[in-house]
Amino acid sequence: MTTPVEIVKREKESAAEHGLCMMTRRKFLMTGSAAAVSVSTISLSLLPGRTVQAEVVKYPRKLIARLSALKDDKPVDFNYPDNGTNSSAMLVKMGGVKAGGGIGPQSDVVAFSYICTHQGGPMQGQYKVVDNHRVLGQCPMHLSTFDLTRHGIVVSGQAYESLPQVLLELDGDDIYAVGLMGLLYGRNQNLMKS
Amino acid sequence: MSKEYTPRDSVPLPPKNAEKLTTCCDYCVVACGYNVYRWPTSAADGGPRASQNAFGEDFPTAMLKSWVAPTQYNVVMHRGKPHNVVIIPDKDAKVVNIGGDSSIRGGTIAQKCFNPDTPTRDRLTRPLIRINGTLQPVSWDLALDVAAEVGKHVIRKHGANAYSVKQFSYQFVENTYAVSKFAKRHVRTASFTFHDTPSDVTSTPGFRDAGFDNFGPSYKDWGDADVLMICGTDPYETKTMIFTQFIRPAIDKGMKTIWLNPRETAGLSYAKSRGALHIQLYPGTDTIVLGAISRVILENGWEDKEWIDKWVNNMWESSSGFGQGTRNTPWQWRTTWGKFQTDGVYGKKGYKQWLLSQKEYEVDAAAALAGIPVEQIHQAAEWLTGGGKGKRPKASFGIEKGFYWSNNTGNTNAISSIATICGAGGRPGQVVGRFGGHQRGGTGGGKYPRNKSPEKVPGRRRRALDTDRWLVSGHTRLAHVVGTTWIQAMCGSEGLKEKFDELVTDNPHQVNSKDKASIIATLKKRADSGGMVVLDHDIYLRDPIGAKYADIIFPAATWGEEDFVRSNGERRIRLYSKFYDAPGEAKPDWWIIAQLGKRMGFDGFDWKDSNEVCEESSRFSRGNRKAYHMIKIAAHKEGKTLHEKLREMGTEGIQGPTFYNYATGQLHGTVRLHDTTLAEADLQSKGMYQGANMLNKKTTHFNTQTGRINIQKHPWDLFSDYWTWMKPKDDELWHTNGRINEVWQSGFDDLERRPYIAQRWPENFVEIHPDDARARGIESGDWVLMYSERVPYHSHTIKGVGGNDFQFSELMKNGHIKLGKGAAKAVALVTPAVKKGVLYSYFLSPGKGQASNSLQGRVVDNISGNYNFKMGVAKVKKIGESSYKKEFVHMSFAPRNIV
Repeated sequence: MTTPVEIVKREKESAAEHGLCMMTRRKFLMTGSAAAVSVSTISLSLLPGRTVQAEVVKYPRKLIARLSALKDDKPVDFNYPDNGTNSSAMLVKMGGVKAGGGIGPQSDVVAFSYICTHQGGPMQGQYKVVDNHRVLGQCPMHLSTFDLTRHGIVVSGQAYESLPQVLLELDGDDIYAVGLMGLLYGRNQNLMKS
Repeated sequence: MSKEYTPRDSVPLPPKNAEKLTTCCDYCVVACGYNVYRWPTSAADGGPRASQNAFGEDFPTAMLKSWVAPTQYNVVMHRGKPHNVVIIPDKDAKVVNIGGDSSIRGGTIAQKCFNPDTPTRDRLTRPLIRINGTLQPVSWDLALDVAAEVGKHVIRKHGANAYSVKQFSYQFVENTYAVSKFAKRHVRTASFTFHDTPSDVTSTPGFRDAGFDNFGPSYKDWGDADVLMICGTDPYETKTMIFTQFIRPAIDKGMKTIWLNPRETAGLSYAKSRGALHIQLYPGTDTIVLGAISRVILENGWEDKEWIDKWVNNMWESSSGFGQGTRNTPWQWRTTWGKFQTDGVYGKKGYKQWLLSQKEYEVDAAAALAGIPVEQIHQAAEWLTGGGKGKRPKASFGIEKGFYWSNNTGNTNAISSIATICGAGGRPGQVVGRFGGHQRGGTGGGKYPRNKSPEKVPGRRRRALDTDRWLVSGHTRLAHVVGTTWIQAMCGSEGLKEKFDELVTDNPHQVNSKDKASIIATLKKRADSGGMVVLDHDIYLRDPIGAKYADIIFPAATWGEEDFVRSNGERRIRLYSKFYDAPGEAKPDWWIIAQLGKRMGFDGFDWKDSNEVCEESSRFSRGNRKAYHMIKIAAHKEGKTLHEKLREMGTEGIQGPTFYNYATGQLHGTVRLHDTTLAEADLQSKGMYQGANMLNKKTTHFNTQTGRINIQKHPWDLFSDYWTWMKPKDDELWHTNGRINEVWQSGFDDLERRPYIAQRWPENFVEIHPDDARARGIESGDWVLMYSERVPYHSHTIKGVGGNDFQFSELMKNGHIKLGKGAAKAVALVTPAVKKGVLYSYFLSPGKGQASNSLQGRVVDNISGNYNFKMGVAKVKKIGESSYKKEFVHMSFAPRNIV
């Protein structure tokens, strides 16, 4: 089994720490564009004084959008980590609402799988803005909703885990997808032939 | 492994040759069917091609196909060797979770299995005795010998009622049968009850007296209605599959729904987006609203006269026996004063005449009291009946705890009456019942010794002993607790806790030696000095019952660790397979009780395995809603055991009561109870008149003397003094509480041991309306304290003599009610989804804090003896900002009602 990057502990949780976390991930998640699966164990230091062992799957680095082209609360669709089954994902700039794993000057740009982690329901068109909340759902299958500001945690519903979050990297104005946190529905590994 | 949830991005698949066993979810009443795939860790995992895995599927799989989420995988010990297990919903299911649907609870049930590398590592694995203040591992022999000696002494010296047994009512028929056989047939204590009530009484007195079984309907019936009234629950949150598989598809096809609920969650908001009527009432006002709707129906003549004529008791029939007959009902005293009894719907002493004479059921008065628009009352009346136009719609009525635990007797009377005038009960799509809470795993091993109960209500009848008041009064010398927390599971819990402190920890007689004789002598002295000894069976150390009070702890084996049988909310009986070794020396509760029973000199505890217990218990299920006796008859005819026969039936099982046709060798189940559409030929073909089959009245009729429905009055004044006293004063708000989808009937695992759920709900929350929050300077994410100095509780065990002795205002006047304090900390969730003036929190506490039940009044229902758990008030103030307010990992402050 592959253990992905450890989530930052609660007491250290902040947008700044997330930036750090994402930067660190970027360093080891950056690979070529080939979707070949290769795993290696590395030691990485996410936070001062803490070293964790992480098995790292090499994800493709994929250019998905330009920051300057994003409009507030208008999701952009893309596929990741490949074009196979259940790779459908969305990128969104959430109108200045800060998010865990958010990039950009306002830490409000995030990307998530569109595929519900309950039974694989498609959630295209289900992005919701309610006050300062940003939610994906209800899933048309069984009505699960996910909080996009909190790493896709289930707000309400039947999903077995958070919505897989696509890890992003900002390079100038270019936004790259560089990895995934959580297993895509229907897959036994995120990187596989389909 | 950390207690923190770590997302994973791969999971092993079961190989082609993985063993497959069937089970059902351990949690909510719906009990979805699951498959367990097991293979040794030394063997290769399956691959992504259909030819390489046990599902026969090519990965990635498409929507609704087999998939394994990382939370559905675990490693367990099986016959002493490590094995992988994958537990996923049965994709071939034709019933309940059709096509392999599941909830977030059952969906991640693999996390429940004991695995020392996970937060389950603190499972109780050895018997413990508290010595010098610390729980210390001891042998089973020592723990059992001590418990038996002290138990015998308490019974001999202080009487059987000093030996109090508080047990789960649901944790598999083998265990409930064994424990209740021990308590009721052998100890013969009247101080006996189940986990969710202070005394052994029915949960729904109104249903009982009308003649309705709690679980008469089939799940399909809920979806077959044209209009469904849902009271005190959102079945999407709690009872997920009933909503997603039956109610929601019906809503999509045009079923109208009417909801009585102070708060809105995802299922209700979905229904509202399809036109549902949400009656957002104040806690405890359901009776008033239902009465007003019934009044509109009857005033307009919209009732189902044909049904009433055929199925409702008239004057003479009602007199022939209220409830189950005058000699046979715990509520018999009511007949004496005619508080509920009617002469049918019409006539001078009829229900209609009574209802029209009661001012509180006038629509304007009712709407004002409940805080709802008056038009909703008219609209509900029209929807339920068709408003006298066109074909009458099929109306059904489903209730759950938010409803029947806020005015237990009144609400259940009122719903029975409105259902009856709308023609519900006993026809497809026209049903009335509970949606359900925990699963139905109770089989009685003895008769409750009612005559030994010192508690008496006015009239001639004794009432089942209130074990909380009995304990608070100092009469309990040994508390034998099986799989419940007792204290937090009740309400006004701080007062109960103080009494446990006084009787147990503050008593001078504390064990300070490992010597058996010395331990026994000390605990006997404790009991003799007026103190109390505590025995506790559980799977984890619970605080405080285990952690602070238990003198002896018996580690229990549970779901997946033994073959067990249980039924669900549509009476579906299935085998829950053992698929891994119980941790350490943990043993199933039936075994623990058997060892204790033998040591105490009781006979009939020589079972070899759980099947033997199940087979012994089956005859006591005859006539019950989940009667499984005939499965045993069929099994034995085929040379099988009862468990073997049920194993063959997999996740589908069979709906009770079961019947066996000796001529055809076929087993038959029962789709719904009170099935007035069944013909004589149906009964014949199921073999109902043959051999050991038992045709109970409720199969084709209702549970009353005549087999027809008693339509009942629901006098508001039995409850109004309590409601009016309770009603928020000054800065108080209503405080009501309940369950949440992510932690429902699964708290014994979820709260501390499923990292994902713990991340979602690390602490208790309180939903507060934006107006109420603003007035108090509270924002989402703030820590708030909910507190009250008006938590009323009964302070004595009393006998009722006069007609009103158990009325709240009389109890108050006569000094039987004291006021306690309660407080609970929570993280605020500011949302208009909860009614203004009402606070809603989870009933226990996901974190380490005080259960929010501490704010609920510990005053039993005037009539039934149940607590009205949903009734409480609290002041609320900000005490700081939680760390969750500005972080991104734990909790979520997004509202649950986003559609």
